[in-house]
Amino acid sequence: MNTKLINKKLALLTAGVIAAAGLALVPSTASAAPVCATANYIESCGGVTSDGGKYATMVPANFNGTMFIYSHGYRYNQDVPFAGYAVSMITNNPAPAPMPGGATDKAVITYLLSNGYGIAGSAYKTQGWNAQEAVAADVELIKTFKEKYPNTKKVIAWGESLGGFITQALAEQHPELVDAAGLICPALGDVRAELQNAGDALWGLKTFFDPTIKGHGYSAGAAGDTEALVDLGKIVAVATALKSAISTNVWPDSSGAAGKALAAIPPRSALLLVGLMAGVPTKSAHFDSTTGPGSKNSAAYTSFATAGAPALAVLENIAQSAGLAVLATRDIEARTGGAFYDNSKTDYAARIADDLTTYNAALSGNTAINGMLAFINPANPAAPRFKGDAAAMDKLAGFMKNTGKINVPTVSLHGTADPAVPAGNTQWLVDQYAAQWEAAKAAAVAKAASSGKWSAPKQKFVALWNNPPTSYTKFFSDGTPDVSGPAVTGTNHYNYTAAQLSAFAQILVNAATNGHVQPDGTFRGLGRKAGGIVDSSYRAPMLPYYQK
Amino acid sequence: MNMRRGYKRLLVASVAASALVASALPANAETGISATEIKLGITLPMTGAAAPGYNKLPGAMQAYFDYVNSNGGVNGRKIKLVVKDDGYLPTLAVAKTNELILKDKVFAVVGALGTANNKAVARSVDLGRRGVPSLFINTGYSGFADGKKYPTTYPLFPSYIMEAKIMGQYIKDNFAGKKLGLIYQDDDFGSDAQAGFAAAGVKFDVSVPYASGSQSATTAAAWIGKLKAAGVEVAIIFGVTSATGAALATSAALAYKPQWILGSVGGDATTLKALGVPAAILAGAQGASFLPSPGDATDEYVKQFTDIYTKAVPGSSFDNNVLVGMNTAMLTVQALRAAGKNPTRASLMSGIESQGSKWASASFSPISYSASSHVGYSGYWFGTYNLSGVMLPTGGKYSIYTTDSGSGAVSKSTYMRPAMPAKGLPNN
Repeated sequence: MNTKLINKKLALLTAGVIAAAGLALVPSTASAAPVCATANYIESCGGVTSDGGKYATMVPANFNGTMFIYSHGYRYNQDVPFAGYAVSMITNNPAPAPMPGGATDKAVITYLLSNGYGIAGSAYKTQGWNAQEAVAADVELIKTFKEKYPNTKKVIAWGESLGGFITQALAEQHPELVDAAGLICPALGDVRAELQNAGDALWGLKTFFDPTIKGHGYSAGAAGDTEALVDLGKIVAVATALKSAISTNVWPDSSGAAGKALAAIPPRSALLLVGLMAGVPTKSAHFDSTTGPGSKNSAAYTSFATAGAPALAVLENIAQSAGLAVLATRDIEARTGGAFYDNSKTDYAARIADDLTTYNAALSGNTAINGMLAFINPANPAAPRFKGDAAAMDKLAGFMKNTGKINVPTVSLHGTADPAVPAGNTQWLVDQYAAQWEAAKAAAVAKAASSGKWSAPKQKFVALWNNPPTSYTKFFSDGTPDVSGPAVTGTNHYNYTAAQLSAFAQILVNAATNGHVQPDGTFRGLGRKAGGIVDSSYRAPMLPYYQK
Repeated sequence: MNMRRGYKRLLVASVAASALVASALPANAETGISATEIKLGITLPMTGAAAPGYNKLPGAMQAYFDYVNSNGGVNGRKIKLVVKDDGYLPTLAVAKTNELILKDKVFAVVGALGTANNKAVARSVDLGRRGVPSLFINTGYSGFADGKKYPTTYPLFPSYIMEAKIMGQYIKDNFAGKKLGLIYQDDDFGSDAQAGFAAAGVKFDVSVPYASGSQSATTAAAWIGKLKAAGVEVAIIFGVTSATGAALATSAALAYKPQWILGSVGGDATTLKALGVPAAILAGAQGASFLPSPGDATDEYVKQFTDIYTKAVPGSSFDNNVLVGMNTAMLTVQALRAAGKNPTRASLMSGIESQGSKWASASFSPISYSASSHVGYSGYWFGTYNLSGVMLPTGGKYSIYTTDSGSGAVSKSTYMRPAMPAKGLPNN
């Protein structure tokens, strides 16, 4: 076989050609042999795991023995058909690699195949929170892949968002199957941490801006699906109204008791308070919370940067992640059999105490802060708390969790202003590994003392952080903010280019080859290409759930 | 037991442990220290609404550092000050401090300004965990003296609680029975002030909070309207200079003339005049300070600093902010000298704690640094502004009153500050 020629031809393949190779080859029965076709030196196979979930594999003719198994992120478990929020229909199509630009973006696939890597990924049988079945499907898929391609030597597991959780769980539970793991903006640890953020945000929006929002306790069946969609529509309406309210200082008509009781306080301050309560970042795709329009010495500059920008950032972040908050709550309520979110005893004042100084001006000062906190006091009948269903809460407590044990070389990549899956998720893993690393160092010293031979411990986990620039908000000449540009790095969820993810893939290849991850020059260089930096002194804010 | 093998194993373990420790340390000397240079950093508002006056601090500090550098530096090293504009925004202060630490690789932060900014930095940049010293911060928030919460932060100013307690006693002694009004920044700065006045037993007939950053001619009109409507005879303001300036200018415009008492944070006359405060309303206003009056040419510190500053920055007026900056710089030089010939961040902080209370300083107030205290100054004197904007001590001489941030009494101080070192160059 003329390997050089094949390599050259593979390198010339375009995304369109790869796409044409097909990802929709599916056999008719579960666990049946995969249906395969070869085109352009790539064998594409489609199959179904024993639980009925579809999967896809793609292997180039010059397969180098290393395969990537990809776990996709959270997909809504119900259709979102109406306008006002991004339309989304359930798709059970497998994703064998990240497609950051959407289903037609095959650039990462092209990169991997062109470089001789095999790829695989499952759709999983159901969407929504499916960690348990996803880990099982991944295990089955790795075995299937190895059976078909017995020259497979290394397996790299990677995934984004929920897929990061699944990847970490796979590496924790089956280290014998995985040589390296890559976690892209991962949700990690205990799913209740993420859900609490969502619940706090929904309760805050309901309490301050529209009491008719349900926020939790959706009905069973199709009625619950409809209620969730209605909630999403209300949140879109509230967000639209708040966009105006930030400049007019007039509370939206939907605000009810809060709007009357807190009329003297700018609604932007209440919006920011909700964001801080729910751990929403104060940097967003277009708002850096540090820049204003015009001259730095102008009142307009100071006013915007100090008072307006943090609220606008929270608004933009809430708008981006509201769908996930509502539909994941609805999905998991259906799985737990009831309302699991409970803030009846949450002490929001204590939770945000440290933020109150940083954002004092944007919150309109201590007097306004005390007024807002008094309004959301559990004793205020105008701001009723949510009470969860005990059985549902118990069931949720039994959902799969990450232990935080690092068994295989692992690298994470996370935006520090990710609004949907905050960087605190990765911080949790950083903290878990810190203890493991200290123990490894102590064990190495002890071993040297007893054996007389020194063997340095190998680092197995490094976090790469994507930091937004300090200043990036743009303005039109009339001083209004320009939000037309793309989201800056480190903001939004899963905000990566194909080139960045390709560099990340190379980091994972090195990790699998070396058996460890050393943050050396090569690692840092690739990390920069992935948009991330190694900063061992950086600490992302912990998710409120872990702060108790 | 095979002793030779035992020693060998011990040696290997020791080397291994050393290797692990070494891997956690910089390859060479302490961060920010080279054979020829000591790099320091500061964040403060150089632009924006809160900048007026305070933006003279880095120039004043650099003028003094340059003077020391031209006289041999500190153990042969020149001091370099990296200045970052944070616009008085806590979020920007966090980003800029990270830049100072990660990109500029400063040895320590010196003179960072603002309560909210320093709190946000301490929390988000995590100075304590990183072991980065933050010296002589430009804020009087009482909480920074908590060495457990802020282990690497060393406040210098008396706390706002101390200032309000001492001012409260002054008000009770001099304005008993008058209608009192207070304008205050509605954050930790103002909370400290309220706590201090409460501790002093002072009750205000009207209190007007303002959110930081909201100060303007428009908002000031509302403040003054409330004071006037309540018939306030003695008006106190605890705000930044731009807020104080807006209040005084509006007061003058509305021909409202209570007895004004200005908190030290916003009391710099040069800046107030530059902000448009008429001399007529400033004249007769009273204020508090822990440093000598910058217009007091008889004071040996003022005289020496003025001489250095006017040569370094010709044409720039010597005012209270310049005095604060140069005094901070001189304390910094003493701290660097106390840190030894091969300074580390740890030796810098231990030097402050072991020697800081004895250092030369322009303040008439004692310094209380020790192994168990991060408290800097603790005293104030009161004075009255004249038509030239110079605040002269009440009664013709400086009378210093000290207290603490707790329930301690306000008492007249007998502290005698050390003499200005020869040529203004520390010799500790």
